[in-house]
Amino acid sequence: MLDFLLIFRVLVFPGFTFILFFTLFCDWVERKIEARMQNRVGPAVAGPAGILQPLADFIKLLTKEEIIPRDAKKNIFRIAPIIAFSVMVFAICFLPIDGSSAISMSGFTGDLIFIMALVTVANFFLFMSGWASSNPYGGIGAARVLTQFLGYDIPLFLLALTPAFLAGSLTISAIAASQYLPFILLAPWGFVLFIIALQAELEKDPFDIPHAESEVVGGLETEYCGGKLAFLHLTRDVQIVLGAALVVELFLGGPYGPVFFGLPAFWYSLWFVLKVLAVVIVTEYVTCLFARLRIDQVLTANWRMLLPLSVLSLALTVAMATYVYPMVV
Amino acid sequence: MSKLATWARLKSPWVLHFNSGACNGCDIEVVALLTPRFDVERFGIKLEPSPRHADVLLTTGAVTKQCAERLKRIYDQMPEPKFVVAIGACACSGGVFKGNYTVAGGVDKVIPVNAYIPGCPPKPEAIIDGVVKLLNSLKAPKTEAKVNDSK
Repeated sequence: MLDFLLIFRVLVFPGFTFILFFTLFCDWVERKIEARMQNRVGPAVAGPAGILQPLADFIKLLTKEEIIPRDAKKNIFRIAPIIAFSVMVFAICFLPIDGSSAISMSGFTGDLIFIMALVTVANFFLFMSGWASSNPYGGIGAARVLTQFLGYDIPLFLLALTPAFLAGSLTISAIAASQYLPFILLAPWGFVLFIIALQAELEKDPFDIPHAESEVVGGLETEYCGGKLAFLHLTRDVQIVLGAALVVELFLGGPYGPVFFGLPAFWYSLWFVLKVLAVVIVTEYVTCLFARLRIDQVLTANWRMLLPLSVLSLALTVAMATYVYPMVV
Repeated sequence: MSKLATWARLKSPWVLHFNSGACNGCDIEVVALLTPRFDVERFGIKLEPSPRHADVLLTTGAVTKQCAERLKRIYDQMPEPKFVVAIGACACSGGVFKGNYTVAGGVDKVIPVNAYIPGCPPKPEAIIDGVVKLLNSLKAPKTEAKVNDSK
């Protein structure tokens, strides 16, 4: 009986199926916001207000012909997008969504580090998928993924330590549960910097150089078509949900919020979805407002500004938590 | 299952734009399609950077002999099922450049064309109409026959 519940949680809610449809929904929200920011309507025909547009794109790509270029490393070319996607979904399974994570007893000391490591692994598989396509544009896109990754990974990790320090724990569920006052109020500087570093991690403007259409065609996706392209797109969208969910868990109090009546799990899921949507909307606004930087500007910005600022942010948080907050609270 | 696939294909035609020797008049109209005034993303039409991602190839301009080989290669790189829309008088038949010693002729001299949109340049409305007719021909084979009859 316990096993049955576990399978349900992993496969249906809050596991795979929920994450998949929530991801497609977030994709629709993003496209709508982008369209409205550009004074367009955006997807409008597929389903009410175009809500089924991402689903239609996904199904269409699955039914297209699969082409594998002659020079591609065939096995890696085939499996790398799927592995990247699976690793991303696996990482989400560790985040508390309806009060606990998809695998209920998965929380362990230091799973924050584990999730960040999974994101790294998934990015590496994205790099492999571009590299294996043996296309100059794919190769450049893949190299740019890694170059950019060198820039933002360390600041992102340092910034994730800010809430970990405030909560006194490296366990995601403990960090989320300890936020009676969301950490965005206690350490707003950390939140702002985390959002900026996250833009780089999600490869969105102003840091979308790995797949800049006007420079490198489709970046690492250039040679991909059909189902493999569908999974590459899905990986990107899941990554956005994962990034937003990390912000929610670390700064916005996780899935916890007021429970009005009935099951707490229902309310927690609702709060989680609303909070993630809020973060997705913020990141999409930033994307629409800024133009793309050059790769050298990205690295300069990350190493010269974001890294020192994140160290400062951590120091400021430590100082405030040690000397100021105990006097106030 | 095939119904679902048809629905998905109808709702998400991704296009690739290729200029095989146009004067840029038709290209401006294609750009007008994608920008706020006509916003074809309403129909799920998205401009894709790579032929591998595209379902519909929008070609503009008469095909020059130099470009013919490239056009064919781009077409071959697209995954099935794929469609070609010839936009403008030149792409349909060669237009005023027909018979020129550097021009191979219309797009259909090189690759099979599914829809012709005449005009110099065609209005964006005409291009949307052509693409929608092409997609509807996917839905019911009977409609396609009718379109052919009317020609």
